[in-house]
Amino acid sequence: MRLTKTMRLTATAACAALAISACSTGGDGKKASDQASGGSGKTGGSISIESGEPQNGLVPQNTAESEGSQVEYALFAGLVDYDPKTSAPRLSVAESIETPDSKVWTIKLKDGYTFHNGEKVTAQSFVDAWNWGADQTNAAQALPFFDKIEGSEELAPGKDKTPTAKQLKGLKVVDDKTFTVTLKDPFSQFKTMLGYNAFYPLPKAFFNDPKAFGDNPIGNGPFQMDGPWQHNSQIKVKRYDKFPGKKAKLDSVTFKIYDKLETSYNDLRADNIQITNKLPISAMSTVSQEFGDRYIYKPESGVGYIGFPIATNPAFAKPELRKAISMAIDREAITKTIFSGTRKPADDFISPIIPGYRQGALGEAAKYNPAKAKELYAQSGGLPGNKLEIGYNADGGHKEWIEAVGNQLKNNLGLDVTFKPFEKFGKILDALGKKEYSGAFRMAWQMDYPSIEDYLRPIFSKIAIENGSNYGGYVNEDFESLLAKADSAKTEEEGLKLYQQADDVLIKDLPYIPVYTYMTSGAYTKGVKNVVIDSQNRIDLAGVELA
Amino acid sequence: MGRYVVRRVIQAIPVILGATFLIYALVFLLPGDPIQALAGEKRADPTVVAMLHDRYHLDDPFFVQYWHYLIGLFQGDFGEDYRGHAVVDVMTRAFPYTINLALMALGVEMVIGVVAGVVAALRRGRFIDNLVLISTLMVISIPTFVIGFVLQLLLGVKLNTDYGIDFFPVSFNEDAGFRAYLLPAYVLASTSLAYIARLTRTSLIEVMRADYVRTAVAKGLSPLRVVVRHGLRNALIPIVTFLGMDLGSLMGGAVITEGIFNIPGIGHQLFQSVYLRERTIVVGVVSALVLVYLFTNLVVDLLYAVLDPRIRYE
Repeated sequence: MRLTKTMRLTATAACAALAISACSTGGDGKKASDQASGGSGKTGGSISIESGEPQNGLVPQNTAESEGSQVEYALFAGLVDYDPKTSAPRLSVAESIETPDSKVWTIKLKDGYTFHNGEKVTAQSFVDAWNWGADQTNAAQALPFFDKIEGSEELAPGKDKTPTAKQLKGLKVVDDKTFTVTLKDPFSQFKTMLGYNAFYPLPKAFFNDPKAFGDNPIGNGPFQMDGPWQHNSQIKVKRYDKFPGKKAKLDSVTFKIYDKLETSYNDLRADNIQITNKLPISAMSTVSQEFGDRYIYKPESGVGYIGFPIATNPAFAKPELRKAISMAIDREAITKTIFSGTRKPADDFISPIIPGYRQGALGEAAKYNPAKAKELYAQSGGLPGNKLEIGYNADGGHKEWIEAVGNQLKNNLGLDVTFKPFEKFGKILDALGKKEYSGAFRMAWQMDYPSIEDYLRPIFSKIAIENGSNYGGYVNEDFESLLAKADSAKTEEEGLKLYQQADDVLIKDLPYIPVYTYMTSGAYTKGVKNVVIDSQNRIDLAGVELA
Repeated sequence: MGRYVVRRVIQAIPVILGATFLIYALVFLLPGDPIQALAGEKRADPTVVAMLHDRYHLDDPFFVQYWHYLIGLFQGDFGEDYRGHAVVDVMTRAFPYTINLALMALGVEMVIGVVAGVVAALRRGRFIDNLVLISTLMVISIPTFVIGFVLQLLLGVKLNTDYGIDFFPVSFNEDAGFRAYLLPAYVLASTSLAYIARLTRTSLIEVMRADYVRTAVAKGLSPLRVVVRHGLRNALIPIVTFLGMDLGSLMGGAVITEGIFNIPGIGHQLFQSVYLRERTIVVGVVSALVLVYLFTNLVVDLLYAVLDPRIRYE
């Protein structure tokens, strides 16, 4: 595109005019930074960030997806939050969280927290919110999060049954600032769970009209709503000045809702939005040149596996066989060529960002070694007819990597690999649940709270066969007893060690083969700084400031 | 004329009913549990799934579910989606954007398409005619989403970052007013625009050969008057038909354009709802689109009478 001299002049003039009129509304990040002298950041200013349309109303107990949790992270403050670097829990609204036996927990609140409508945040605000979430008549997405608390089965007795209580027996309000939680069994990681959005408090106004609340939530966090949620368009929040915790630096943030990541990326490049934590695949090859050190690239919590229905298909029973398959997969090649570096080879069952992760824990099993794999495969007796079927859901972009894995197994082990696409993720789960499908399958796990335990029990424990994500039907009593021991550990550290021992059992057994961990990729414009993405792929907006 | 209109409106009722039934059945047949879709890539809690299935009658057979829907419909209740939003709210929120976009696209089509066609027809076989021929051919052969992304990148991003001209918003932005619709409307109109240019050209060339045009020229009327009053007026009949049909497809076909430019309109909504198996929204939106088709068809038929007095309805 060529410009004449006059056009150039006009363009420059327009530029100057924009710079002058800049500091008023959203989208002024770049222009503001043109005038800033650099150095220390400043309070104030407005930015826009990329978002998708949250699935449900903005009720923390009914939010199970990332878009909604990001907004709620700005609007609410929980008992604890997580250190963005280590993912360790830090006290937030809670003054102290103590337990003598990991079973009865006493939670004391700090002074001064209020909801955005002025109502005080009390012990009752938490207890009411949790009771609502635990009551199955409300059909909240976070329902299973409360099943560790005593009395949960009375509020959620299951399908076709009516709850016999309105309140969790295990929750007791001692005074305005104190409440106790009694769990069914000891659980040393309970404190870590409490940063999850299911455990946020709710104001009284919520219970009058939950539906209206969903469009215009009243939280207790660093930001408050600035007008109701404009569906499919945007959600605006502004700083809550009476927030006693770490106050937000920015005046306001607009969550701009996008349908296509290509569009939001173009908006980022044009400085119409300032931060995104989701980049389109098409941007991966150029983003680091374009954004330099403002390009964020770090592991996130998700892990991708190849799973085996151990319980239903005896052909997969031998751990050596699964190890042989694991060693025949070239993880490096798959993450580089198929995922353009948006994934990293997995080397533990635990995500790299979680306390307790050990680099290279999978050892030999995760190292690409076709010769050894072939040997091991022969030793294990192999698969009947050398046939292997791999199922995957066709709605999530898994075809390419599953076929690549299939080809590697074909070449390295001489297997006759076939593929079975399922239309939707739910379909594959149904088929596995009803034992109608007995081939290998693609699976993934994204944590709920940053605890090592969340990578073990929900996927590989006995109770997770019925109520969790143990689709393979894997059972190992050693694993179970180590989990139980770790649960009742007196300290976090002691618990961590025991959970790692449970992890070692999995590494020996390989009920699933971890293939890759997901990577967060984001970027931000010159106008902002202090952009930190935490282990749940959320941006800590209270900390962001204009550069 | 009045009776004709009434008859047409009454005829629309079975069409609407049939359409809702077909669409409902089709969405019903889509695999995947809408409640599972609410939980994303995680397995929804079985108790929650059961409660919600119960609330939305999801375990009932197809006809029972459709019956529930129809009963609601007759009471003026379009139902709610699985997240508790009233379908009517969802539609009244999304439709204005799409209507703006479609009308603007229609305007672009009409102005650019007809002018290009007229110019090409009057300068038949000359350079300008060939230019229109080639450029329309190009526009028709490039997929809409390619045109969309290229224009967005060139006029939205590059013009802004390289030259500081912030005239075309990259994505939809309420504050930008009508400017926000310019690029998407052009992209949405591009294919039809090419057809209109071709259609106008052919139609006008034919009309200009007619006896009454020759008579008009012989009477000494000004060339402009001959072309506009005697030529174009008669040449417009097939074009009006095309435009009328096109308004419906512009509204329905906005899925791609609205996606690229992030306009929170009906196409955007429809795409999401099909993906999330939101039956009530899909049926509501598509039925509304059927209504638009029926209505524009009626308007087109009535416009014939205005354009050509020999065509009258009774």
